[in-house]
Amino acid sequence: MPLYETLSTEKLIVVLDIGTAFTKFGFTSEFAPRYIIRSEVRCKKTNSLRRICDYNSPEDLYDLLVEFIHTIYFKYALTSPKDRPIVIVESLLCPTLFRETLAKVLFLQYEVSSILVLPSHLVALASLAIDTALVIDVGYKEAVTIPICYGLPIVQAWQALPLGGEYIHYNLKNLLSNCNTGIQNLSETVLEDIKIRCCFVTKSSRAKQLNLAKSEIVPPPDVKYPYAGAETLLVAGKIREKVFEIMYEEDNDHLCLSTMILDAILKVDIDLRQKLAENLVLIGGTVMTLGFKARLKEELQKQLLNERYQILNIKEFRFHSPPCKENYAAWLGGAIYGATDFLSMKAVSKDFYLREKHLPDWINLKDVTNMKLPDYTTRVL
Amino acid sequence: MMSKISRTMELQDINYNKLDYVETASGNKVCRQTVLCGSQNIILQGKVIVQAEAIIRGDLANVKTGRYCIISKEAVLRPPYKKFSKGVAFFPLSIGDHVFIGERTLINAAQIGNYVHIGKNCVIGRRCILRDCCVIEDNTILAPETVVPPFSRYGGAPGVPVGDLPECQPDLMIDYTRSYYQHFQPTKLI
Amino acid sequence: MSYITGPDVVKYACTCGLLKPIPQLYFCKHCLQIRCRFCVCHEVDSIFCGKCSENIPSAEARVKKNRCANCFICPSCQQELSTRIASKGPANPDDAKSPIKKTYYLSCYFCRWSSRDVGIPDQPSATGGWPERENVHINRLQEVLDTYKQIMHSEKQQKESDKRKQRGKFVSYTDKTGVTASALRKRIGLPDIPHAMLKKPKPPEPAVAKAEVDELPESIFTEPIKLMEVTTIEQRLMQPECQPLTVDKLFPVHKQLSIKQSLRCRTCEHNVSKPEYNPNSVKFKIQLLAYCYIPEVRFVTVEPLRAGQTVELIIKFTNPTQYQTTITILDLDLDEQAQYVEEQKLIDLTQNLEQALSLQEKQPMSLPSLPYSSGSQPSSLLSLPRLPSVIVKPRKIFTETNCDVAIPESSFILPPRDDAAEYDDSSEVHNFEDDPKLIKWRKSNKAFVKLAVTPRADLKLGDEVVCGFTMQHIYTNVLPPAVENKQPQKYDHKVRVFLTLGKVVGSE
Repeated sequence: MPLYETLSTEKLIVVLDIGTAFTKFGFTSEFAPRYIIRSEVRCKKTNSLRRICDYNSPEDLYDLLVEFIHTIYFKYALTSPKDRPIVIVESLLCPTLFRETLAKVLFLQYEVSSILVLPSHLVALASLAIDTALVIDVGYKEAVTIPICYGLPIVQAWQALPLGGEYIHYNLKNLLSNCNTGIQNLSETVLEDIKIRCCFVTKSSRAKQLNLAKSEIVPPPDVKYPYAGAETLLVAGKIREKVFEIMYEEDNDHLCLSTMILDAILKVDIDLRQKLAENLVLIGGTVMTLGFKARLKEELQKQLLNERYQILNIKEFRFHSPPCKENYAAWLGGAIYGATDFLSMKAVSKDFYLREKHLPDWINLKDVTNMKLPDYTTRVL
Repeated sequence: MMSKISRTMELQDINYNKLDYVETASGNKVCRQTVLCGSQNIILQGKVIVQAEAIIRGDLANVKTGRYCIISKEAVLRPPYKKFSKGVAFFPLSIGDHVFIGERTLINAAQIGNYVHIGKNCVIGRRCILRDCCVIEDNTILAPETVVPPFSRYGGAPGVPVGDLPECQPDLMIDYTRSYYQHFQPTKLI
Repeated sequence: MSYITGPDVVKYACTCGLLKPIPQLYFCKHCLQIRCRFCVCHEVDSIFCGKCSENIPSAEARVKKNRCANCFICPSCQQELSTRIASKGPANPDDAKSPIKKTYYLSCYFCRWSSRDVGIPDQPSATGGWPERENVHINRLQEVLDTYKQIMHSEKQQKESDKRKQRGKFVSYTDKTGVTASALRKRIGLPDIPHAMLKKPKPPEPAVAKAEVDELPESIFTEPIKLMEVTTIEQRLMQPECQPLTVDKLFPVHKQLSIKQSLRCRTCEHNVSKPEYNPNSVKFKIQLLAYCYIPEVRFVTVEPLRAGQTVELIIKFTNPTQYQTTITILDLDLDEQAQYVEEQKLIDLTQNLEQALSLQEKQPMSLPSLPYSSGSQPSSLLSLPRLPSVIVKPRKIFTETNCDVAIPESSFILPPRDDAAEYDDSSEVHNFEDDPKLIKWRKSNKAFVKLAVTPRADLKLGDEVVCGFTMQHIYTNVLPPAVENKQPQKYDHKVRVFLTLGKVVGSE
């Protein structure tokens, strides 16, 4: 840590990226989050853990967030949120209910002085110092692709598919129950652990063989996974290899992860397409799986031969490797933006919120037409 | 008896056979069916209840409890040891006032503060330090040398913090151990 | 006891509308209102390490990234690590007097992980020198951050100067004549320096994308994985910077610090709880707990509950204060609470999102449910300095009571708490004229009260029976000492109490 940073008397500013599965928490001008914790709180009534995304009513979400933000500040940040700014990194597709409830919790319950809301796809480019890229965020609930051109997210070109950790877990659960008799309801944590420690994304040449009745490939070795104390769960080599295949299985609309990316490129201006293809940025926890990038590249090239994408005329795909782990790439962007004067220029202040009674949002016509409002999605650098 | 306590709020009388217990001048009630090794090294400060089949290993090192401690059935209090290059040495075990120790719990701690509630079937590892006002939930295994800070609640195996306690925890524990002592009465013969 | 382990049978309604057991409630002496953790303002009072029990000043904690410099946790199982001594033989084996060299290593007593497992050399001192890992990308990221900071700074200044120009009423001489500042400088022989604001900082070197990507290692198809050597997600996320994939890259993690909290009432900005500085102390400088000011209701027994049948419920009242109080049991009257919520001029949380902002600027203190029994409110209370702040919106109490309570006609007196009474076994003499229909038994500051309750007739077998009533008690305020009259102030304070009685059982 540089010396001047330690001596500065500035207030610590929290940067928060609340994901469906994991929340990234840290401070501005630091280069890694302090903690990556599960987005869940302990329910006082039942003494069990509840995920924030499992809320069943707006009030319930409010209460969950109050509890969660309390843990963030008083267990991890060890500062009072009152009269301090906070930086929130969120997806452009974040549900309005969630944003508004979060804003309400922060402004009313915790009395923060201002909130800087940053779109995750845009700020993920900050650490790379580029302004044009196709950002692919594969998280827990879904995979979202948004092209960023000269610092502007091309929101109309967004593509999203429910291909994330959750879907992988679901698939893994089915595959495991098929080869282990009597095992039906594996918990999310066990599934996640098996996925993380045993599974990988295989090569496209082997993937073709996987679905054949008589395959010539030798499956990778099986894993005996200790489970529920004395029992063992057989994670067959085939499952280890196959579980991520659903990412590239085209659904009824012929959509999968690779087509989604190409569709997003198709929707932008013809002059930008090649540049986007040469600047692919992968973020989100799921992309950290072994072999993910290599396979995606293979799949993209395979799809290019498809008639649908001939028009693209793309020669090569190039990938960026961010100077951080992919699961906190968006958070890191938030920490960089939050450290600059951007915070004081573009943050939504408490006064503004109390007057307007909502957070400005790109989807809200009122905010888009009224130019006096802080335009928070627009380019900065 | 325990199940009733958690259901109702006001404690019910807990009866014992008068012949089974010895009551000392300072108000300690010690069951005869207990194993108190090295009794000259065991100090019970008064109004302490030691229930059936509890084991206190005073032969290893001094064991001292404060006032109003409740040591439930089959609990084991064993002073901790430390390994040195030339063998092992045992260290005293001290327990504060208003401490409840649940059934079949093994205590290997170095120090237990005041107003501590330890559930049943717990293992408190070697040389743990439990500060004032903490709660160890039932079936918790605390790893050796764990320090439990005040107003925290530990649970699980290995024991981890699972919550915190209200500020009036000392009052609650005083109230609980006192009323436990008051309701711990010999069965009245008719 | 049930506060410590069991379910909460008796709950009190907080002013904000949440139901909580009494140990979790606070009583603000200044507003004479019940508060709970949900509706007070939390503040960090002191920072300490839970293992070594040392207070750490907040500036130091900040430098250490909120972690203890000396205590470590196990990267494998997250338990606390212990420092162990490994003594090497004497430096000079021939000389018996030469001191034995002690070295230290870290070891986990729970999972047996040790710092030697990952190849960290033993340290000569017990407290430190453990190698720390640096982020490999730090130089690049620092460079990027610094340039961004400059860009944003100049942009901000640009904006401000633009504003200033627009606002300026006076046209400067140079503007009028068309002579620029730079030309003027040249004319009078000064070197032409570009304005600091106009100098655009150089953007950082953009990252370069590569066509090559990390290929899947071929060995994964042939070599069996050793599950014990692959880290779990918890182990990875404990070290967010490097997120090691295998256990041989796990490094000890500094233990996270803990805090003591102080709580402040949002209405009057007074503290309701402020702990002492010492991390081991369980005492408080300020402790306005409901448990110490509001009579406690405890559930004793109830006859078997049957739908539609009146049964006897016995509850215990305890007066925790040093003053005698009178308790009157009143009807629950949830409408009054609902009205109180309405009075706060707030919009309901559930209304559509555009307006679902439960905002309220601080209003002069109003105590709608508090008619004063004697004296008026001390003027000092009204003139407290109040910062403009937002109050958490109270909610309507949301609990279905399905059991009627017959409201007793008379009230009863509870004598003050007497700490000496514990040692005094002599039977007490009461001079209270108790209604034998109401009071079953009493001892010192406690009274056992009989109430007739009737579960509703439409309840089914196994339904949970909940009843409620309003308890009105006299609260004697000793703070602040009234200037005009020396008498302590007395107020009637009402609180709604809910009891979960149990399940409906079948008929005999």
